[in-house]
Amino acid sequence: MRVLYSWLRDFVDVPDGPAEIGRRLSLRGLALEALDPAPAGEAPPGVAALTDDAVLDFDVTANRPDCMSVVGIAREVATVYGLPLRLPSPTASGHLRSAGLRAVERDTFSVRIDAPDLCGRYCGAAADVHVGPSPQWMQRRLLALGVRPISNVVDITNYVLLELGQPMHAFDHARLAEAAIVVRQARANEVITTLDGAARTLTSDMLVIADAARAAAIGGVMGGADSEVRASSTRIVFESAWFKPQSVRATSKRLGLRSEASMRFERGADPTAQASAMARACGLLEIIGAGRAGGTLVDVQARPHVPHVLPVTHAHIEALLGMPVPPHEVERLLGALGFMLDSAGAAAPGWRVTVPGWRPDVVRGEDVIEEVGRHHGFEHLPATFPPVLHAPPPSDARIARDARVRKVMLGMGFSEAISFAFIDAAAATPFAGGAPLIRLANPLSETFAVMRPSVLPGVIDAVSHNRRHGRRDVRLFEIATAFAPSGERRSLAAAWTGEAAGDHWSGTKRDVDFFDVKGAAEQACAALGVTAGFEVTERDYLVAGRAAAVVVGGQVAGVVGLLSPEVTDGRGIPKSDDVLVFELDLAVVSGAAPATAMRVEPLPRFPAIVRDVSLLIDDTLSARTVRDTIRHAAPPSLVSIREFDRYQGRGVPSGKVSVSLRLTFRADDRTLTDDDVSAAMQAVMAAVRDGLGAEQR
Amino acid sequence: MSTLAELTALITEHEHAFARALADADAGAAPTRESAFEALKVGWTGRKSGRVADLMARLPSLPATERRAFGQLVNALKARVEQALAERDAALAANRRPAHAVDITLPGRAPALGHRHPLSLVREQVQDVFTRLGYQVLEGPEIEDDYHNFEALNMPEEHPARDMQDTLYLSSPLMPSPEVIAAAAAHAPAAASTRRGRRPLAPQPLTLLRTHTSAMQIRHMEQHDPPVRLVAIGPVYRRDNLDLTHTPMFHQCEGLVVGRGITLAHLKGTLLAMAEALFGAGTPVRFRPSFFPYTEPSAEVDVGCIRCAGTGCPVCKHTGWLEILGSGMVHPGVFEAVGYDPAEVTGFAFGMGIERVAMLKWDVGDIRLFYENDLRFLEQFSL
Repeated sequence: MRVLYSWLRDFVDVPDGPAEIGRRLSLRGLALEALDPAPAGEAPPGVAALTDDAVLDFDVTANRPDCMSVVGIAREVATVYGLPLRLPSPTASGHLRSAGLRAVERDTFSVRIDAPDLCGRYCGAAADVHVGPSPQWMQRRLLALGVRPISNVVDITNYVLLELGQPMHAFDHARLAEAAIVVRQARANEVITTLDGAARTLTSDMLVIADAARAAAIGGVMGGADSEVRASSTRIVFESAWFKPQSVRATSKRLGLRSEASMRFERGADPTAQASAMARACGLLEIIGAGRAGGTLVDVQARPHVPHVLPVTHAHIEALLGMPVPPHEVERLLGALGFMLDSAGAAAPGWRVTVPGWRPDVVRGEDVIEEVGRHHGFEHLPATFPPVLHAPPPSDARIARDARVRKVMLGMGFSEAISFAFIDAAAATPFAGGAPLIRLANPLSETFAVMRPSVLPGVIDAVSHNRRHGRRDVRLFEIATAFAPSGERRSLAAAWTGEAAGDHWSGTKRDVDFFDVKGAAEQACAALGVTAGFEVTERDYLVAGRAAAVVVGGQVAGVVGLLSPEVTDGRGIPKSDDVLVFELDLAVVSGAAPATAMRVEPLPRFPAIVRDVSLLIDDTLSARTVRDTIRHAAPPSLVSIREFDRYQGRGVPSGKVSVSLRLTFRADDRTLTDDDVSAAMQAVMAAVRDGLGAEQR
Repeated sequence: MSTLAELTALITEHEHAFARALADADAGAAPTRESAFEALKVGWTGRKSGRVADLMARLPSLPATERRAFGQLVNALKARVEQALAERDAALAANRRPAHAVDITLPGRAPALGHRHPLSLVREQVQDVFTRLGYQVLEGPEIEDDYHNFEALNMPEEHPARDMQDTLYLSSPLMPSPEVIAAAAAHAPAAASTRRGRRPLAPQPLTLLRTHTSAMQIRHMEQHDPPVRLVAIGPVYRRDNLDLTHTPMFHQCEGLVVGRGITLAHLKGTLLAMAEALFGAGTPVRFRPSFFPYTEPSAEVDVGCIRCAGTGCPVCKHTGWLEILGSGMVHPGVFEAVGYDPAEVTGFAFGMGIERVAMLKWDVGDIRLFYENDLRFLEQFSL
C-alpha cells in the first residue's frame, strides 16, 4: 500500500519524517518496502504544501485490510507515537469535512438486496454534478498512490477508497432503468461490458448490481460501461457497500479481473464504514465544487454487523507473550487501535474487548493479544528458554543412518550432490522398472514433469554438468527420496566416471571400472553393518553383462553397473566415457542388519597357514562357483579365499583363464600342522579337478 | 739447471692454474661439480701422476742449497690445494642426501576425499543446535494430503496459498503407503484420551507436494500427546520459477514446541541460540510482527547482517538486518485440528529456509548453484 506522507499528516500530527515513520512501523508489522520522493505540487485548500513529500510503500500482510487505506496506516502511526487520530467528519473543517446525511427509505432511486449472503449492506446517495476534472491537489494525491485521475466524480470515489479503504462506485442516475438498484446473483451467461471495455460472461454464483433490466456492475469488482458516469452526466448515484470477501475473490479470480476495489473487498472491508464513507464522498463533492448531494442516504442492511466481543484476561496476555505489559498500557494500545475495552464483570482481571469493524482478522483472544504484543514491542521480549520436563524422544532413525552412509561415501571420494525431485518424464522412464510414473498436474516445465522413480537420473545429470564444464573425473552421490505409487523410499545413488586412482607421478593411474563401484556399494552396505551379495541382473539403463543386483538378506536392495550409452548419449556425455553407477534402497539395506546386539569375537589364539594355488579353468566359470567348490571341499579350518590374480593371454589356452587364489587356514583350538593343510589342499584340488575340470599350474 | 727464481715462478704458475681449474669446477652445474672436484683431486694431489707429485719429483735433481726452499714452496702449494678441495668436499657432503632419502616435496598419494554439500552442512548445524537444546529431529513424507498441508494449518479451502500458482499438485491422487497408515493407526490415541476435536484417522488421498514441513508437525501432534519439542527438516516444494533466489524445491527446517506455559519469549531465546550457532556468537536477532495463518502472534525474524555487522551494505539493502525466518505462537485453530486443548497448552513454531542460511553464510549469490552440483562449487566445502 502506497501512502503519501502529506496525506498521512491530514490525520495525525506526526513529528517524524517519512524514513523514521517507515522504520518504526516496520517494527510494528508494516514492513516498509520502498520510500520514494514525491514531486511537489498543490496541497488541499488551507494546507501548506510540503517541499520534501514522499511516498511510503508498505507491505501489508493479507490479514490487514484496514491498512489498505491512508487512515488505516495513520491509525497505526498514531498508536506508535501515542498521538490522537483525526478523522474526516461533518464537524471537521476544511478539506476533511464530511456531509451530514439523513437516512431515508427511498430516494429518487430504490435499493433492494436479493442476495443477502453476498451483500450484507448497500448504501446509495444521489447527487447533482457537473462533471469535469478534479482539482490539482486531488489528482496529485491519486497519482502518487498509483491511481489515474478520470473526472471529478470518479476521482472522488477513488479518493475515498484510498483514504478510508471503502471502495465506492458512481452510476449515471439517468442510465439506471426505472431508477432501481437491485443487488442480485447474475443470471447464467449474463453478459456485461465492464469499464475496461471488455464483454464478460457471468455465472450465477457471481454478484451483480443491476437496474430493473440488467447488470450495471459486477459487485465489488468493476462497474459496467453502460451506467458509467460521463461528461454529460448531471445526476449520479454513489454506491458504498459491503460484499462478501470469498465471493469477490472467487469472481475476481474467475474473471481474471482485479481492481483496487476487489483487492479490498476480498480481504474484508469494514462492514460499518459504508455510511461514513458516503458522507465523506458527498462532502468532497462540495469541497471541490463538483456538485451537491441531496443530503439523504438509502441504507439497506441485509445482514447487520454484530461486532465480536472477546474476553481477554491480563494473565493470558502476559502468559502468551512471556513479558509483562501493565494493564494501563494494554488499555492505551488497544484503545488507540479502535478497540473498546470494558473491564466490568470479568472474573479475573481483564476486559471484554469489542473489535472495531475494520479488523475482521481479530476473532479470538489470541488475536487481541497479538495486537498488544505487536504495539508494546517485540523488542521488549526477554530471551528465555522452554523448560525441559521430559527426556526428549529419539530423532528419526533415518537421520543417523543416512549420516553414516554419507560419511563413508565422502571417505571413498564421492562428493555430495542435491538435485531436484522432479525430472523429465523421458529421463525417468528407464528407471521406473515398469511402475507408473507420478506426474505433476501443474509442473513448471516438462523438465520437471514427474517425481523421480530413482535418485540416479539427478546424479547422472550432475555428472553430465561437470563433464560439460571440462571435468573428466567425477565421483558424486546423493541421499534423497525416490518416488513410486507404492510409496517414498530413501535412496543412495552414486555415479563415478574418469579415474579410479589418481594421475600420480608414481604412475598408478587407472580408470574406474565395474569392480570399483561394486566395492563402493559393498562398503556403503558395510557402513550399515550389512554384507552385500551380487547377482547378475538386467536393467534398461545398464549395459548387459555389466550389471548386478545388490542382494542383502535375501532381498534386492539395489543395483550396480555400467550406464548404457543410450542414457549417457542423451545427456551429452562422450561415448568414450564409462559412467559406473550404483543405487541402494537404504531402508532395505539397514533392514538386513543383524537385529541382535553385536558381541566381540575373541581374537584367534593360533596362527594361520596360507597356501597359494594357481588353477587353469574355463573362463565361463564364475569366481563364486570356484569359491563355493573349494569351500565345500575344504575343512572348516579354511577361513578365507581370496582371488589375487587372474590372467589370460600368452601361455593360457583360449577359453581358459589362470586364476590364483590365496587360501587361509586356521583352527580355533590348536596350531594347524603342515599335514593338516596338505590334506585339506588335496581335498580342494580333487574337488576343483573333478568338479570344475581345473588344472593346477 | 733452473735457478730458484725460475722455480718460484713455476710454483706461482701452478697456483694460478689451480685457481682457474677450481673456478671452472665451481661454476659447473650441481650434478657435474662433484665429478669435477674428483678430477681435480686426482690431477693435482694424485700420488703418482698428480701435478704436486710431479713438482716433488724435481727435488732430487736440484742443488742441495735450493732443495729445501723449493720443498717448502711445493709443500705450501700442496697444503693450499688440499685445503681448497677439502672445503669443496665438506660443502658437497653437507648437501648430499641420506642413502634412502626421497624427495619429500613431490606430491603425496592422497586417498580421494569427497566434499560435503553446503545445504547438508547447514542442515547438520541446525540439527546439532536443536539436538543440543533437547529437540527430536524428524523427517516426513514429501507427498502429502491436502488436510495435513493446508487445512489443519488453518488454511481453509479458499486460502490463497492453495492456489495452483503456488502449490505443485499430482495429476492423480495416490493412496498413502501401508507404513504411513500403520504409523497413524499405531499412535491413535486411546478411546479414553482426553484429546478432543477433529482428527482424520482415515487415510487421505495424497494430492500435492508438501509446501512446508509443517505438514509433518501436524502428523506428529495427531500421533503424540504434548509436550512436543521437535524440528522437522527436509525438502519442500513451491511453484516458483528458477531465478537468483527461487527454486521450485528447497529445504526447510521447522521447529515446534508445545506444552504448558510456552511463551513468545521462549521462542526469542531459542532463535537467538540458533542464530548464534549458525552465524557466530553475539549475532543479534530482531523480531518484527507479521502474519501467518498458523501462528498468532506471528513474527518475522531478522539477524544482524553478517557481512557488514549492521553498518549497512548491499547484502542487507543497507538496513543492517537480514530476514531469515518466520515464526510465532501456534494458532489455537491448529491445536483444535489435532485435538490439543488450546486452553491447556500453548506452543511456538518457526520455519527457516536452509538455502537462505547457506546463501548468507557463504555469500552465495545464486540459489541455483546448490542444485547444479558443479564440483568447482562443491569442492569449496570440506567435510
